[in-house]
Order: sequence, then structure tokens, then C-alpha cells
Amino acid sequence: MKRRSLSMVALFATLATAVAASEGVPFQRVADMLYQVMSADREVYTRMVVQRLTIDEEVLTASEHYDDDLALPLPSQMFRFGAERVMDETDEFSYSLLSLAPINKKSGPGTPLEKEGLEYVADNPGENFYGEEDLGGDRYFTAIYPDFAVVEACVTCHNSHKDSPRRDLKVGEVMGGIVIRIPMD
Amino acid sequence: MPARIIWLLVTVALIAGAFGATALFVGGDRRVLLIGATTDAHHQLEMSCETCHGTTAFADAVAAEQAVNKACRNCHEDELDDADDSHPRREFRNPRMAVYWEKLDARLCTTCHIEHRPEITLAGAVTLPLDFCSACHSEGDQDVRAHRPSHAAATFDTCASAGCHNFHDNRALYEDFLVKHADEPWLAASPIHGLSALGRGQGAPAEVALTRDDAVAPANALAAPGILDDWSGSGHAAADVNCGGCHATGGDGNTGTVEANWIETPSLAVCEDCHRPQTRTLALGRHGMRQHPKIAQPRDPRRGLSSLGLEGLVPDAVADWLSDPVLPLRMTVAEARLPMKPDAVHRSLHCGSCHAPHSADTRHAAVEACSSCHDDPHTRAYFESAHYELWRNELAGTAPPGAGVSCATCHMTKTEQRGRVVTSHNQNDSLRPNERMIRPVCLDCHSLQFSLDALADVPLIEANFTDRPKIHVESIDWAVSRTRDQAVTDG
Repeated sequence: MKRRSLSMVALFATLATAVAASEGVPFQRVADMLYQVMSADREVYTRMVVQRLTIDEEVLTASEHYDDDLALPLPSQMFRFGAERVMDETDEFSYSLLSLAPINKKSGPGTPLEKEGLEYVADNPGENFYGEEDLGGDRYFTAIYPDFAVVEACVTCHNSHKDSPRRDLKVGEVMGGIVIRIPMD
Repeated sequence: MPARIIWLLVTVALIAGAFGATALFVGGDRRVLLIGATTDAHHQLEMSCETCHGTTAFADAVAAEQAVNKACRNCHEDELDDADDSHPRREFRNPRMAVYWEKLDARLCTTCHIEHRPEITLAGAVTLPLDFCSACHSEGDQDVRAHRPSHAAATFDTCASAGCHNFHDNRALYEDFLVKHADEPWLAASPIHGLSALGRGQGAPAEVALTRDDAVAPANALAAPGILDDWSGSGHAAADVNCGGCHATGGDGNTGTVEANWIETPSLAVCEDCHRPQTRTLALGRHGMRQHPKIAQPRDPRRGLSSLGLEGLVPDAVADWLSDPVLPLRMTVAEARLPMKPDAVHRSLHCGSCHAPHSADTRHAAVEACSSCHDDPHTRAYFESAHYELWRNELAGTAPPGAGVSCATCHMTKTEQRGRVVTSHNQNDSLRPNERMIRPVCLDCHSLQFSLDALADVPLIEANFTDRPKIHVESIDWAVSRTRDQAVTDG
């Protein structure tokens, strides 16, 4: 069932990007639609599973070593797992969760446009950032959306993790950004 | 040059060309065309080129490389997923990682593992210089020397060779795991391998066990010396598996049906019917990899002749003669690259090689079966080791179940699945690299530090751990130090 769901996401994205290419639907519109799905799923898992079970009910823990610790995967891990599964299915689009202050260094900005976009959404809360960039010989439409600390669980973890470069995060603040890329060729 | 010699050279060249073309495009043994010796991991498949290289022509070199890499994943992808791969291909396919594609393209297995290049092949079939980590971890945010003071003086050729990191599998090496297992005594107070102990206690309920009088088989089979004694004391009899369960499958088990359907030598498929996890995992290791479902079948020479426009022009007898050699289903001891006993050279590997089919004695399969073929210093030294003494004590009943350490304890790892202990028959699984042995085996009795040190001490491994490690892997010290320093910083 999970495999089918991922296939459906990939199919949707493929159709969406095909429509974008053939009928002139702007890449930005496609990226915005993808973001709505990703953002909603991310918030739902964070709020309804992690916050509820680890903070509100205190019946489970969440851990980056969820397998060893018999704990819930962290929201950022859930997001990454989804992104990697999509990469198994399609190269029609890709997405990542990045930050200017990442706990995991590989989640920091990796391209000049990522850095510019992450700084923009951090400085302009609620606004998105759009651009184009050349990567690996292909041109991409790149959209960057703000990623907010929606609940207490987000800030508790980020402010206490030993590898976190930022310890003053507050609920409602921008933690980083969701980066969506669509190949333009 | 005399014309006669020129004609001779031309004739030899034409014959060689015809032979090569026939072997490449129609059929026949192509091993003579190998561009270099195949690694130990794949040499059993040398005559089955299509397993790795596919069956169709490729548009260009890129397509050919991608096809080879897809073949790698066909057999190794599940293993990498199980290892919680630290550098998963799917992560590096994201175009944001394009900057790394030029440094070390982790999307392709062949970036680090090139076959047929023995002159540059290192442990783990790695064909890059040992300092390959420097490609991505020596500058910018990924510069480990800048972020980890402990690593400032470390050289990149030691990342993966000093017992600290692996490119794929770091389940026993990640920082929090190191910290969690710091300061443990080198030997547990009650050293018992838990899953071995649990497995010893598992068996069929006594009420279903069969006795000698229950055996149903043709008279001549029942009369074979020792067979009834072996079978009635076996796990098969204990689990209500009568003679027909293997020798006459599919019948109702009555004497007439069993005699009518009797097969003197049951095939591997019969074992697989009941022992599916064991046969599946056997095909993942070097003992049984020729039975892997992804191994390509021999080419049909008629298809090759057809593609050359020669269909119907070549007699059937010639076409048959051009067939690929059939890949033997079973690995033979003679083909092994490890030292083997001379008197084992004619044996082949199948279930019965280790499990005497009627006694089904896993104790024999756990030690004596291994040493009946393997003849290397590690195997020979085992019989002088504390592990072997514990094994003998367990068999004698003077040590509790799980106290003994057999070959199988370390090389055939166990997992618990829904309350049942399942033994992997992929005897290579805990060796690629050997830190994979730590979690399912070593840690039940030894500390992580002792385990890391022992597995990094090559002479000690050869001596089968008959002494204490003379190497100290510093990763736990560094991890603890960093965590302590971080705690001080946090106040």
C-alpha cells in the first residue's frame, strides 16, 4: 500500500510536470501544489503523532535512532524518507528539508541558490522564494518555502540536541526551508 | 617476411577472431576473454557474464555502466537497505548533490567497485585509494577535521581502515552507539549468546515426535545401516517429518503412496519447502550464490545466430555445441579461493554438505561441517580457543545453552522473527565488513571496545581470538570526549 501511495505521488508529479511542460502551467504552480501536500503531511505527523505521543501524552519517545531506541522517527527523518522514496520512483522532481542551522551538516545549504533562498524565507517569514539553477548539466526550477516550528516538540529537540548550532528556537519561528526542484528540460 | 608466414598469421588471426566473435555473440565459454581476474565475491559467476552485463546491446558507455549498476542493485540493494546504508544511492540522486557527483559519484556502485581489476582491488572489493573519503569530507561544511578536533591530525586513509567508519554500514560505529556502550567490561558477567540460547530451547512439542516404529519407507531404505537411528533422533522426527516428507512429497504418507513416489535423492527444492528463510539466505552468500534468483541463465545460441543473420544456416548439432557452459548449481570446494582440505576438493555445497540429511544435527553443522572443508589458520586455531572450549562445555552440559561459541555462532547470524530464532545461511553476512558481526554476535558477551579492537587486529583474527587484542580503536574515546566537551559547553 505504501509503495502504491508513493507511486501515486510520483504519478501525480509526473503528470503535473508534464502538464507544466506541455500546457504552460508554470513550474511555480506545480511546485506550490507539491509543497501544499508535503507541508500538510509534515505538520500532521509532527502535531498528531510526535507532539501528541511524546510531549502531550508522554507515552513514547522520538529519536533519530528510532530503530535502536524503539522510538518514533523524527519528523525531519519522516520527511527525508519520503523524499528518498520519491527519488527511487521518479526524477521528475525532488525535494529536501534544509536549514541554515542544521543539526545534520548535510542538511545545510549546498548550492548558492539554496543559501539565498533559505536566507530569504528566514528574513521574510511567510514568503516563498523561487529561482533557477544549473546542476549536473541540467537546468532546474527551484522553489524554497519556509519550514516553521509548529509545536513544542520541534523546539525542544532542536534546542537540546548536542549537534544543534541554534539553541534559542521558539514555536512559530522559521527553522529552515522545504526545497523543491523540477527539471526544466 | 615470407608469404607462407603471412598466410599463417592471417589464418591464426581469423580463427582467433571467429572464436572470439562466436563466444561473444553466439555462445560458448567466454572466460578466456575476461579482461582481468574476477573478485572473490563474483568469481563463481564468471561464466555468466549476463548476470552483471545484461543481454542487450547498449547505446553507449553510459547506458552500459548504468546497466551494470542496476545489476549490482539486483543482488545487493536489500543488503544495503538492511545495513541502513550511510551513503544511499537515493540520497545522491537528488540534483542538489550534483556537486559531489564530480568528486565521488555515490549514485554508482562502480565508482568504488570496479570488477576485473585485481591490481587495484582492496578489501571489500574497493578499487579506489583508501583515502577516498577526502573527496567529499575534506572541505567546507563537510570537512571533518574542522568540526571534530579529534580528527584534526587523522589522515583520510585511516577513516575506513582503523575500525572507525564504513562507507555503507555503520550500525555498530555511529557516535551515540559508541557513547552508549562506553565503559563496559570486556567480558559480560554471564556471557551467553542470547539468540543461540533461545534457539536451543525451541523445538516441536514432544507429543508430535515420531519414533523408529513410525517410519514409513520402502523396505530397502529402512534397512540401510544406521538410518533409522539417525532419523529417529533428529529434528525431523521430532517435528513429525516422516521419510516421505522429503523422499515422497505430495502424497498422503501411506506406505503405498510413499513407495510409489519414492525419490532416492531429494532436491534442494524439497528442503526449501520447509526451510525457506535458510535456503533464501544461503543464496546470498558464497556457499550458495549460484542459486541466487538473479543469476542469468545460459544464452540460447540460436538467438545469437539469428541476430547475426545465420538462423537456419547452422546445423542443430553445431548450435548445441556452441551453447554456453551451464553454471553448476552448486559451488565446489575445488573452486574455493580460501585454503581447503585436499580430501574435500571433490565436494560441492548443498544443504546435505553441512547437515547430514538423516541426523539433521545442527551441532555438527555448526563446527565439524565447516572444518571438514576449511583449512586456514583461523579455522585451525579455533580448536585451541576459549570459544571452542566453551562450545565443548555446552555440548557436555557443563555450560548453559548459548555459552558455547561455534563457527556458526559468529558466521551464521541469528534473528528473532515473531518469537522464533532464524539462522541466516549467508555466512558472509557478518564479514562484509567484519564490524557487522558486532551487534548480532560479539556484544552479547563482550564490550563494544573489546569487539572493535579484536576485529581490527588481523593477527588476532587469524589466531581465532586466542589472546587479547593488541590494537586499540580510539573511536569510543573520541566520541565520549566530544560528548563530554559538548555537555560542558551546554553548561
